[in-house]
Amino acid sequence: MKRRSFIQTLAVTPALAVPVAANDAAPSVTQQESAALEIAVADAAAETHQKFFTALQFSALKRLSGIIMPPMNGLPGALDAGAPEFLDFLIGASPADRQQIYRTGLDQLNSQARRKFGRHYADITNDQAVELLAPLRKPWTYDPPGDPLERFLREAKADIRTATVNSREYVTAESSGGRRRGGVGQYWYPID
Amino acid sequence: MTNIEYDVLIIGSGASGGMAAYALTQKGVRCLVLEAGPLIDFQRQRGLKSTYELPYRGFGKPGRLSHVFQANEFNANQWVDEQQVPYTHDPKEPYNWVRVRMVGGKSLFWARMSYRLSDYEFKARDHDGFGENWPIGYADLAPYYDRIEPIFKVTGRTEGLAQLPDGVFVEDSSPYTESLKRFGEAGKSRGMTMTRIRRALGDGQFASSYNLLLPAAQATGKLTIVSNAVVREITTDRKTGLANGVSFIDRQSGRELHARARVVVLGASCLESTRILLNSKIANSSGVLGRYLHDQFYISNGVIAVVPEAKDGKAPRGLMGGAGYIPRFRNLKTKEKNFIRGYATDIYTGGTPDAKYFPAWGEDLNRMLESHRGAAIGTTIMGEVLPRYENHVRLDPKVRDAWGIPALNFQCRYTDNEFNMAKDAVATISQVCEDAGFEVLNGNDKMFPPGYSIHELGTCRMGENPKTSVLNKWNQCHDVKNVFVVDGSSFVTGGTQNPTLTIMALAMRASEYLAEQMRKGDL
Repeated sequence: MKRRSFIQTLAVTPALAVPVAANDAAPSVTQQESAALEIAVADAAAETHQKFFTALQFSALKRLSGIIMPPMNGLPGALDAGAPEFLDFLIGASPADRQQIYRTGLDQLNSQARRKFGRHYADITNDQAVELLAPLRKPWTYDPPGDPLERFLREAKADIRTATVNSREYVTAESSGGRRRGGVGQYWYPID
Repeated sequence: MTNIEYDVLIIGSGASGGMAAYALTQKGVRCLVLEAGPLIDFQRQRGLKSTYELPYRGFGKPGRLSHVFQANEFNANQWVDEQQVPYTHDPKEPYNWVRVRMVGGKSLFWARMSYRLSDYEFKARDHDGFGENWPIGYADLAPYYDRIEPIFKVTGRTEGLAQLPDGVFVEDSSPYTESLKRFGEAGKSRGMTMTRIRRALGDGQFASSYNLLLPAAQATGKLTIVSNAVVREITTDRKTGLANGVSFIDRQSGRELHARARVVVLGASCLESTRILLNSKIANSSGVLGRYLHDQFYISNGVIAVVPEAKDGKAPRGLMGGAGYIPRFRNLKTKEKNFIRGYATDIYTGGTPDAKYFPAWGEDLNRMLESHRGAAIGTTIMGEVLPRYENHVRLDPKVRDAWGIPALNFQCRYTDNEFNMAKDAVATISQVCEDAGFEVLNGNDKMFPPGYSIHELGTCRMGENPKTSVLNKWNQCHDVKNVFVVDGSSFVTGGTQNPTLTIMALAMRASEYLAEQMRKGDL
């Protein structure tokens, strides 16, 4: 501790041991030298522990993510941005009906891939993988599609894009490339 | 402890409560405002963050604020917590009740759209035979609109439209861009008139009771504001049946308190005011308290179109940009077969269509988005919802909020009149876009659930007959003469216009009447 801050700390220590609230006893922010520490987000230092989807479902989600949002124009794609891992977390924390849409959709991708091409979705060729995305060619409607695969693909398309463009990798690449910086907003802290 | 009896106790500090405080204190009336939420220090309460710094990467915490489509992970903390203040409805008939509890209320965040109602609304029954007329007409309210618009600095273009009366505007004479001109010209053959959006400029960052009404009221020395005061009920004198104060709970500590006043004014927002009255077991000899809930149905991006000349970044200067407003044009002088009343439309140009409208992904999608960047025409359709007895709120006997106050149960649904109107709106606007030479990308006639517009109205309606209405023409309870309700719950019909300006005009009118009654000793 520097001498100046040590003296400041002494100066605000109560002379008498009277019961005071913890916040009252602590030196105020303005009376301390605040350290200029740079704090990283967890994504900068670690990988998400994948635990919600089965290995087969997750492999299909990764394959789908790479197709929906590949690296483009020097910006990271979904796989670079850890979008599948993030969605594994997000969907795992979501209400049951949303979980069901994803699980059913990924299972259907795999079962259709096996039926048509004899392999799991992660293992078929790119042309074959794209062929199974035909439901995404239908026009958007407000009501969700009745077909489970179509419904899943529609949600996944939006989610994979969002998970990618809102990622640290994407936002950093966008801003470092001198491009328009997206993904910044006024955050409301919790109200006391 | 204090034993003050205030002249008037006002519940709520938003557009209506704030206006009541403003108008009453100008007349020398001593007021106490109770606000359920805190006073916000905007410098401390908000800060810039990147999406990747948020715990859910901008998606928001799953399941939180499931009714608030306006919420995102950045602003989630500004809305009322649905777990803390729950409400109930049949899962098949959702209602999106969007709430803010802060000093200033929803007026901190409103879209500032400021339109007058006309006698097409005040005297709606005379036009089509449905429902009831208001007990007042446009001429009764016009002088109050005249005084409020300058306070809020409402911009607009003087047009002379009967269905959308002009105001005391900061005149907007800016030219339309070519794409808006083309839309306006194409719409004329279908009876549409385009004008500029009428919007409150306010002062600085806000156009709110927070900066335009409450400070002026407090400067009179006649206003006390207590924040974090969650009102449980209005208390009454057993002998007279008149209100004598309000019981409330300190939001943070849970301490129960009571404040005394000669008169109580409810401006807690449409449904919170009704909830308080229901919980107070007053003002309902008619049996219509909580009934005739209505709003305006909204379809965001009902029609999305593209201006071909603007694609691939080739828009010449002056082609794109800006916004217009198409006021109601249906059922004014002609009569539609499938619906009564009408709809209005916001039209805005120069955006980029959302990725969901393109049946593509990957690099194909990216190319399409780039090609359409800045070339879009977007529309928001706002339709009148008929006030029906069946659409109502009541206290849920089983569910209470964090302070033990009964929650509201909603029973509300749109009917064929609204559905047919929405279909007509999308078909007509799509046709106008095509006539203007635009490419229609998507048309959607499915509206958001009731409540989405945050324009909830009715449930405490005014009227001449105490057997069919809760309030008289001065927003005064028929049953309890010293209780006034000055927010959107007093509406008889809502039209298509955003209601805040009318809510404030009603609040000012009622408050000045109240002050005069107090001066004369009648209250």
